[in-house]
Amino acid sequence: MATTLRDPAPAAPTRHFADDLRERSDEALVALLRARPDLATPSPSTLRSLAARASSRTSTERALARTDALTLQVLEAVLALSPARAVPEHRGAPPGAHAARPPAAVRVTPAVVARALGVSEDDASLFGEAVAHALESALLWDADPGAPLRATGVGHEPDLRTAPGLDEVLGPYPAGLGPDTETAATRALDAPGSQAGVPPLDEVPAGARAVLDALAWGPPVGVLPAPGSRARDAVDRLVRQGYLVRSDARHVMLPRAVGLALRGGHTHREPAARPPRPQGRSVARTTVDAESATAALEIVRRIAVLLATWTDAPAPLLRAGGLGVRDLRRVAAAMETDEASAAFVLELASTAGLVADDGEAPPSYVPTVSGVEWLDGALPGPDDAERWAVLVRAWAASRRTPWQIGTRDERGALRATLAPDLNRPWVPRLRAQVLEVLATAPDADGAAISLTTSAVSDVLAWSTPRAVPPERAVDGLLMEAAWLGVTGAGALSTAGRALLDEIGTSATAGADPAPEPRGAADRSAAERGAGARGTADPVVAALRAALPPEVEEVLLQGDLTGIVPGRPSRELARLLSRAADSESRGAATTVRFTAESVTRSLDHGTTADDLLAELARRSPVPLPQPLEYLVRDTARRHGAVRIGSAGSYLRAAEPTVLAGLENDPTLAHLGLVRLAPTVLAAAADAVELHEALRARGLVSALESPGGQVLDLRRARPGRAVPAPRSALVVGGRVAAAVSSAPDYAALVASLRAADVATRDTDNTASRARAEARDAARAAAGALLRDDTPEPAPAPAAGTPTPSAEAEPAEASQHPEPRYHLTDLGVHQGPQVSPGSGSTSARSGSAGSPPGFGDPSAGRGGAPTAAAGVGHDVTDAPDGEGTQHPADALAILRDAIRDGAHVWVELVGRTGSPERRRLRPLRLDGGRLRAVDPARDAELTVAVHRIAGVDPDRPGTPA
Amino acid sequence: MTDGPLIVQSDKTLLLEVDHPRAGEARRAIAPFAELERAPEHMHTYRLTPLGLWNARAAGHDAEQVVDTLIEFSRYPVPHALLVDVAETMSRYGRLQLASDPVHGLVLTATDRAVLAEVLKSKRTAGLVGARLDDLTVVVHPSERGHLKQVLVKLGWPAEDLAGYVDGEKHPIELSPTVPGRAPGEPSRPWEMRPYQEHAVDGFWHGGSGVVVLPCGAGKTIVGAGAMAKSGTTTLILVTNTVSARQWRDELVRRTSLTEEEIGEYSGARKEIKPVTIATYQVLTTKRKGVYTHLELLDARDWGLVVYDEVHLLPAPIFRMTADLQARRRLGLTATLVREDGREDEVFSLIGPKRYDAPWKDIEAQGYIAPADCVEVRLTLPESERMVYATAEPEDKYRLAASATGKKRVVEQIVAQHPDDQILVIGQYLDQLQELSDHLDAPLITGATTVRERQRLFEAFRSGEISRLVVSKVANFSIDLPEASVAIQVSGSFGSRQEEAQRLGRVMRPKQDGRTAHFYAVVARDTVDQDFAAHRQRFLAEQGYAYRIVDAEDLDAAEAA
Repeated sequence: MATTLRDPAPAAPTRHFADDLRERSDEALVALLRARPDLATPSPSTLRSLAARASSRTSTERALARTDALTLQVLEAVLALSPARAVPEHRGAPPGAHAARPPAAVRVTPAVVARALGVSEDDASLFGEAVAHALESALLWDADPGAPLRATGVGHEPDLRTAPGLDEVLGPYPAGLGPDTETAATRALDAPGSQAGVPPLDEVPAGARAVLDALAWGPPVGVLPAPGSRARDAVDRLVRQGYLVRSDARHVMLPRAVGLALRGGHTHREPAARPPRPQGRSVARTTVDAESATAALEIVRRIAVLLATWTDAPAPLLRAGGLGVRDLRRVAAAMETDEASAAFVLELASTAGLVADDGEAPPSYVPTVSGVEWLDGALPGPDDAERWAVLVRAWAASRRTPWQIGTRDERGALRATLAPDLNRPWVPRLRAQVLEVLATAPDADGAAISLTTSAVSDVLAWSTPRAVPPERAVDGLLMEAAWLGVTGAGALSTAGRALLDEIGTSATAGADPAPEPRGAADRSAAERGAGARGTADPVVAALRAALPPEVEEVLLQGDLTGIVPGRPSRELARLLSRAADSESRGAATTVRFTAESVTRSLDHGTTADDLLAELARRSPVPLPQPLEYLVRDTARRHGAVRIGSAGSYLRAAEPTVLAGLENDPTLAHLGLVRLAPTVLAAAADAVELHEALRARGLVSALESPGGQVLDLRRARPGRAVPAPRSALVVGGRVAAAVSSAPDYAALVASLRAADVATRDTDNTASRARAEARDAARAAAGALLRDDTPEPAPAPAAGTPTPSAEAEPAEASQHPEPRYHLTDLGVHQGPQVSPGSGSTSARSGSAGSPPGFGDPSAGRGGAPTAAAGVGHDVTDAPDGEGTQHPADALAILRDAIRDGAHVWVELVGRTGSPERRRLRPLRLDGGRLRAVDPARDAELTVAVHRIAGVDPDRPGTPA
Repeated sequence: MTDGPLIVQSDKTLLLEVDHPRAGEARRAIAPFAELERAPEHMHTYRLTPLGLWNARAAGHDAEQVVDTLIEFSRYPVPHALLVDVAETMSRYGRLQLASDPVHGLVLTATDRAVLAEVLKSKRTAGLVGARLDDLTVVVHPSERGHLKQVLVKLGWPAEDLAGYVDGEKHPIELSPTVPGRAPGEPSRPWEMRPYQEHAVDGFWHGGSGVVVLPCGAGKTIVGAGAMAKSGTTTLILVTNTVSARQWRDELVRRTSLTEEEIGEYSGARKEIKPVTIATYQVLTTKRKGVYTHLELLDARDWGLVVYDEVHLLPAPIFRMTADLQARRRLGLTATLVREDGREDEVFSLIGPKRYDAPWKDIEAQGYIAPADCVEVRLTLPESERMVYATAEPEDKYRLAASATGKKRVVEQIVAQHPDDQILVIGQYLDQLQELSDHLDAPLITGATTVRERQRLFEAFRSGEISRLVVSKVANFSIDLPEASVAIQVSGSFGSRQEEAQRLGRVMRPKQDGRTAHFYAVVARDTVDQDFAAHRQRFLAEQGYAYRIVDAEDLDAAEAA
């Protein structure tokens, strides 16, 4: 047989992933936890548990989702270059039966990886950072057994390995390279001329060479051509020579070494050392800032319009929460904009705590106290720049996704504005990333670069190739930034940069910012505003510098228009918004005076003379005659019809009957007012009036609207008291716990202590633990299911529970019978064939990349994601009686790697535990294949039947 | 940030500060591409429209020039999106061109394959184009040249018409160096075209076809004559009505080498076809048994030039006929491109882009049209009429308010204040006009008056024989009454802006003594009359004519002041 499988490297007293972690310094561990915060919550109790968790599929997926393209290439290259894993086909054969490469040849040092990637000199430092980052976040580890001795030594070249579990996540063909199979051809490649009948690669005939070239860059699997064809002959010859390997009846594969040789020793076509340089139009800085200022003023104006509109007429909530389409349209019309941007304004106002649900029945949206203060606080209230800062800070922390408004969710229901299900935890992080891309766009002398959505997406795709953000979200965020004036003409404005500086550090560090409590933004802004008005608030100052100067004048013209040749001051704006209709806005404001607008001003209590005087004062030119005429004429007609409210009226046929009533002091409490000689109005209601008049001796009668006399008893009107509307409700949601940075150092210290303790534990203790567990399980009815409530996870004090891809509330608020280890099977995902291994992780949120899925999707039908996450969140503390599933898996993986034996505790069909010594071969798709040396048989067990695993240490009893 | 006179708004309006030292410069710079929307006393408003930008492209301006102009004169940074949009819009013009191919005849060529594909995919172009010659060229049926242009404008890809024109039948026409006196025996005096008229003719001729916009009384007829002289071919002139046709004829005889025999009138009364033929819209749009019976006129001769008077009034059927006349030069004349029916784009596609435009106030400042004083007189209705008005059906309200009896007295007062002026009283409702005519003892001209009688009365008015004339809307257009210096409008066609402009135009011919013209609009206060009046006045107010408002009761005082 020409092909044999390469053997695992002879396990030099093997060093494991866990050993690598254990030997890391405390600082390194803290850095690891910082880079992968999910490892620390809830706190692992031992370092082994930490290692297990770090190699769990969920955590690995999550870490990879944040990995940039270069690091990913490094990982793939390391995986491709690493010595082969134990392969199950190789069952039963003793280790070392075939010629293995000398250990020296398989040292995967950074230099080897760099050469394989083809990293240029310029990018060497970037490459170094990528390797360091991968090591730091435990995606790579150092398998050099000598490492601990020289770990800190200068010039130490680590022997890189990918973290266990990473191979599964990255799929069977890392970088599109085939299996590491040894064949005649690979041997020939190692030592030219050593294998008879194998031509050197360069001398492979053209037809056959084409076959190899087609497979060279992956996928390395080809379908066998039809028998008898020339192509088939070529393939058959290649198989004979060992350039191809038959994988099954219909397919051939390109062995890894051949693939590498065909690629010229490289693992990738070219190193993705730097993000793609985004291309965009160049825009002058002044233009960007001017555009941003215009947008900023516009958003402030729109919010003001919204608050004014809802002060007058609060908008009702839909039953499912959110605002109806009709109300959205109404607001959009008032703002003179389209629905999409109006929806954003509403979301923004709500996020900033300026409007809120009033909690009445039925509930409505009304401006909050801070909203009213924001709108027209006592002079000197916040100016435009300060108001804008409130909005933009609220936006920076917002988790809302307004771009989804109007689309349908998976149940087909329309997503409404302000609906509660528009929150996505990843929004702040993506926002920071998008702004970061804008901020780092090349800046050619004084000109900014305006980027399109696709340009931004390209860069983001480089930084997180495993979790490319949906274009729609990027587009939505860019649109929001433009509406807010964080960008101008598509480039980040000075004010936007100031904002990014403010939020940048926390969000880009990778940690999900703690949920921003409603109203927090304006509270903090109010604090800032109170103490620091005029002092250095960089965001406010940056915008203020960009705003055009205020103008106090309005040019009044004969065609009843007025023009403010610049940005009107607040007082002027207020005057004009009352007395005139706006026709055009922008650098200047054009208004038109109409009878309606003047009436509006008169309704606010202004008199014609006041208004004219005020306008004259602000106009550099004399008041045009038509305007003066309009104001006077409107004032003349204003109030020609007067309306008041009365509780009841009193009419008589003769004026004499009513004479003296309104002046009678005994009837003063009725509030009588004479409207006409024979009509009086009263403040009191009809019945009270009737009774009072009867008491005075007037024979009055009650009448209906039609004039018929009514029976007093039946006529007594029910006195409905209007429900008082507490118009101003502060956003009353309970603020989430204030986050503080988790104390990773303390955690590492406790891990270290536990680790030392564990290592001291002797085997007796281990057995005792196993026995105790058996006893407990037998007592529980030999069932795995444990209905007694689990002791609550005890996170370190002050450590927040960050929400994962789904709300943690899901798991903690609905306690359900907990399955100890049985969720392992689910955790592993549905059974997948090796070919689709890399995609199985995504099955949780169909169609969307990990991390950007719709949490509700996971909640609904796909148990994989929910269970996978639940596993992470409801991590049980390690200790007596339980073993973390991931721990078990980690031990199994190590054993597979080393070809070592382990003690596995299996649960039979009847639920009875059974302890067997096995040599695990393969762990895949929720199944473990292992050899039982005692019975000399191979067995396959579902992972959920494994109750526990212990390393086979000398002396462990059978 | 310069201290320019221009403020560019993101809604594509441009505000021009008139009193700024560089205002004149800025106005000249933006005139080619921005349309004047309002010209009140301090800040003029211009608007950038696709049609305006395409007009500019047609006149040879490019986007860079437009953008540079905006940036140069703008006081504040110009909105970026606007600049992008300007460049984008302007680049759309001329991507498609109508050209003459020596082999295939009329073809539509594109400089951009995608544009041609997009246009051809549209349902609207189906049937207008023929075989596709290659990626960039498609055959156009010569008869569909106009329709295609219309459709392309609607699709947002206006085609540049480079297919040229037929030369037409030659017929020498020259401008005469002198103009004979009006009265018999009066000596001829030399004349020449005013500078702006020459510019207008040149602009038109250079562009091939298009529209010249000049205020009423600024001598549009002479621009027409100038264009005819330049063309030197047989000419078809389309005018609004018969009286106007006769005035055209008279003016052409006086100002050009044409004789009465060379000019034919094609109207309801006469059907002459001569080298120069003047036809009315009405006769062309007359239908008999569902067909236009006079269409053959359009093909009666090989016309080298077609002149459309008062383009803003072109009725829809004429548009359709014009669509078939695309191979001939077309000149549109108007005082305003504002159409109450919003068909400006058809004027653009079928007659041609705007070739010349001058603000009224400019021409007035040059002394070519009389300065005018516009006054709105507000009349308070007596109680009884207000009651009737308040309870009337909505459709009757305007008529009731417009023909309020009190207006009679107001007119009387105004007439009394202008004893030495030639006065026109203009109105909408015949019974009201009849009453006024009786009351003022002035002759009445309505649609029912015979053409001969009308001409007699107009001639008498011109000569000063009669000093007052009551006219209905027949006198809205194209009636040359140079000596009228006071117009009193008692009622109008609801809120028609162009009617108001036309009526003002009646009194705007320059007066020999340079006196100011007066335009009075009498409206009933607190009624729809007042609202319509406000709407009508918008165009003039935008052109810089500020209306004073005077209460009827204060009329004497106001005039004395």
